[in-house]
Amino acid sequence: MSGGSGFLSVAGAAKTFGAATVLDGVDLSMGRGEFISLLGPSGCGKTTLLRIVAGLMAPDQGKVALDGQDITRRPPHKRDVSVVFQNYALFPHLSVAENVAFGLKARGAPRDEIAPTVAKYLGLVQMSAFAGRSIKALSGGQQQRVAVARALAVGPKLLLLDEPFSALDRKLREAMQIDLKRILRDVGTTAIFVTHDQDEALTMSDRIAVMYAGRIEQLGTPAEIYHQPATPFALGFVGLSTRLPGKVTEAADGMVTVETAAGSLRARANFLPGSPVLLGIRPERMVIGHDKANRIEAPLADAAFQGARVQLHFHAPEDSQILVETPVLPADAGPGTKLKLSWDVEDTLVYPAAVASP
Amino acid sequence: MSAARRLDPVLLLALPAVLYIAVIYGVPLLVLLGRSLLVGGVPSLAPFISFFSDGFSWIVIGNTVRISVLVTLLCLVIGYPTALALARTRGAMQALILVAIILPLSVGVVVKAFAWQIVLRRDGIVSQFMTGIGLWDEPQRLLFTEAGLVIGAANVFVPFMILPIYSVLKLIDPRLGEAAATLGASPFYRFFKVALPLSLPGIVTGIAFVFSMAASMYVIPSLLIGDRFQTLATLTGRSFLFMRNEQLGSTTAVVLLVLTVAVVVASASLSKRLGGAS
Repeated sequence: MSGGSGFLSVAGAAKTFGAATVLDGVDLSMGRGEFISLLGPSGCGKTTLLRIVAGLMAPDQGKVALDGQDITRRPPHKRDVSVVFQNYALFPHLSVAENVAFGLKARGAPRDEIAPTVAKYLGLVQMSAFAGRSIKALSGGQQQRVAVARALAVGPKLLLLDEPFSALDRKLREAMQIDLKRILRDVGTTAIFVTHDQDEALTMSDRIAVMYAGRIEQLGTPAEIYHQPATPFALGFVGLSTRLPGKVTEAADGMVTVETAAGSLRARANFLPGSPVLLGIRPERMVIGHDKANRIEAPLADAAFQGARVQLHFHAPEDSQILVETPVLPADAGPGTKLKLSWDVEDTLVYPAAVASP
Repeated sequence: MSAARRLDPVLLLALPAVLYIAVIYGVPLLVLLGRSLLVGGVPSLAPFISFFSDGFSWIVIGNTVRISVLVTLLCLVIGYPTALALARTRGAMQALILVAIILPLSVGVVVKAFAWQIVLRRDGIVSQFMTGIGLWDEPQRLLFTEAGLVIGAANVFVPFMILPIYSVLKLIDPRLGEAAATLGASPFYRFFKVALPLSLPGIVTGIAFVFSMAASMYVIPSLLIGDRFQTLATLTGRSFLFMRNEQLGSTTAVVLLVLTVAVVVASASLSKRLGGAS
């Protein structure tokens, strides 16, 4: 799944608007049938990248190739790339069935094929009963389904989804995520999904491209992104983490000792002594008590009960953050209680930090 | 539709306008209508019967409808692309087009009509240009022809076609065009299946505006085509001002009123129906 065989390949895509660099040389390669999420905060360039792939915007530099053909300069209606827009962009003057039929008619599909195809895709998104309805009579979730059916009905080589669930409430969103995943698997569509919602990306994707400031920071499977975030941004944007800045004091045999405000900690990494670094630890890797190799102590600030887990926030030195997820809160712990915390050396992530100014 | 329709107190805000129109426009209109239906103080349809049985009346009605339709069509052909350009441009360019459309409205109709007289006469700029590029063998006068009237009138009324179409076009979500494109629709197909149907309410409103104004115009035909060519509006004017035939004048005025109201009402209901689908 994760072997990007180059069904879609974006090479060195760059785009500036005035003085602002929105895309700064992005490379992306994905295989047929793959589902990739572009994940990042607003303004990271994910929507711009999507529009360039769709042909709705031309890159200043770079190439886009789909299924072995260079489509960089090809207009959108000749690309075979469908888009599900954030606001769905359904045609208000057409019925549900006419919306789904639009692409087929525009491509001059044979008359007798249109009705069965429309019926098939309306069935796929469970909207058959609404075929004759006006778009305006539909709820947000129903419009969403029609938009997906309309985009899939033309049998696109590539489906692009631009934050399609952002207008839906949480419960509906989660139901739609599962539904969409099922539908795309049934149809076997290659898809790029743009989102700023990390849970959505982790749930749905074969691979995630974490984007920041016009670049792809990391491209990997959800597990890779979560357990081995490649950059401090990926660490911070996807999931929660304990973050401790420090300085390397010893380095030998692929191991470093880092002096932080919370104490001296060990990690597996190659850095020269004296290098400023940032240590990151996922909260569920940390345990209460000093059973593991890397040990610190911190006063509890707050405990957030989350059902299966309790999230513990600790008072931390400046620039640091200490966060632990544990199944049970120790009975005697309250705000201000100093707790012993520890984790394995292997679970300590190390990133080069910007050199502190003198 | 709900059966019980209550009077909205907000409607009271329209009261000053309603009173103003009632006094300034409604009362004289009733007087006019009364005159056309009263012969020597007795209610009678005789004025209408004699009007409609006169062949000349039908020529006048024909003139009115023909000129109004031609002016409306010319305004639509010129106005739609302009409205599209206005809706698609941004910033300084959009402001420039908007000013170019609205500023001429500040020039009075009489001034414009006189200007057209100069432009359309035998030694006018149009004639010079057409003979200059060899399309006309010899200078011709467009002044005092139906073509000249249609050209001049369209110039005056075209903003009233552009603005309603523009106001509808600018509200169309630009993503609809993008969605159509990514579904495989060519620019041509996108225009005829998305932009055009969605802008129909604006087109209908523009047609209602221009048609009713063209049907009732008085100064422009007086200056650009003259007395030989009569429309319902000019005949109404002549009946009152020159022929002192108030009976005929009020009859033609009522016929003109019914014609324009019919077009406006029909287009309003059409617009509502089309708007209901968008």
